[in-house]
Amino acid sequence: MNGHADGPELSAYLDGALAPEPRARVEFHMSSCADCRAELASLRHMKLALSSAPRRNLPPDLKLALERRFVTGAAEPWYAAALRPVVWAPAGALALATLVVGFWLHSASTLEEVPLEPLLAAHARYSAEALVPEDNLVASNYSDQLSDLGDAPESDLQ
Amino acid sequence: MERMEPQAFADLLRQAGDKAYNFAYRLAGNEQDARDLVQEAFARALEHSGTYDPARAFDSWLLRILHNVFLDGVRRLAHRSTVSLDAPTPVEDSSWEDILPSKDPTAPDELIRRESIDLVQLALEKLPAHYKAAIVLCDMEGMSYDEIAKIMDVPVGTIRSRIHQGRLLARKAYEELERSGGRRQ
Repeated sequence: MNGHADGPELSAYLDGALAPEPRARVEFHMSSCADCRAELASLRHMKLALSSAPRRNLPPDLKLALERRFVTGAAEPWYAAALRPVVWAPAGALALATLVVGFWLHSASTLEEVPLEPLLAAHARYSAEALVPEDNLVASNYSDQLSDLGDAPESDLQ
Repeated sequence: MERMEPQAFADLLRQAGDKAYNFAYRLAGNEQDARDLVQEAFARALEHSGTYDPARAFDSWLLRILHNVFLDGVRRLAHRSTVSLDAPTPVEDSSWEDILPSKDPTAPDELIRRESIDLVQLALEKLPAHYKAAIVLCDMEGMSYDEIAKIMDVPVGTIRSRIHQGRLLARKAYEELERSGGRRQ
């Protein structure tokens, strides 16, 4: 090897990507070349800086989005199952039935709570008032009825 | 689009998802573009899943697709750049609120912390796409030259050259960033 080691060969040596023969050649050269040893150390430093940089992992929301986009039925959001008809149809029917029964029970209890005494008193009052004729009836029909009774033959009155 | 079995896809996602995202993030340099790259790569992978050889590692196959998606984007961007030379620079296009220091007292510390962590990423952003991809796959993902050659669809000799050139360029950019305290130039 004349001069210094070939640059790409030096990098390949650093990466362990050289075949045995060229690797032995590079090692033999470096044993007597301080410049190439320094260059190798510098390349190793750069490789270490690159390899020790923090890794960026797939964000969880992106992973979820990928699964949702490309996979049928995998990793759905927590509320997705609740949106399926097989779940919400029976649940809806049950909720409706509960509402109807609840409304009926509420109505029944409301009726029971209404006091009957005022209603009965009102009913009695209306019944009593219905027996008293209105003024015009007193003036006409009621007296007519009395006179009709007086004019009627006795046979009709019997 | 052909749908995979849920369990099969979940397994592949678990197996290759992190690696694909890390590769995408290092290539793109930001989270939003990395997310788009990964989604597009998975879409293309599923679209062409009939051509996948199960004897081959799925993550290598996916990374090859992702790399192609990235290169397509780079070519589109390069094309747009050539036709919009009059576009304002980022500084000219910024508002005063973007340039002046934030009122949040924790912001500068956070910025310094983030930039020290991401010094490598800043150095990578200065590299041409081919060199960047080669050293990310080699030094960050620990892949062999043969695997990288298959992913980038070039001979192993080309990969060897790109990895070395990439490291030299990254080292130069990294040292410049260290001298400037991690500030973008």
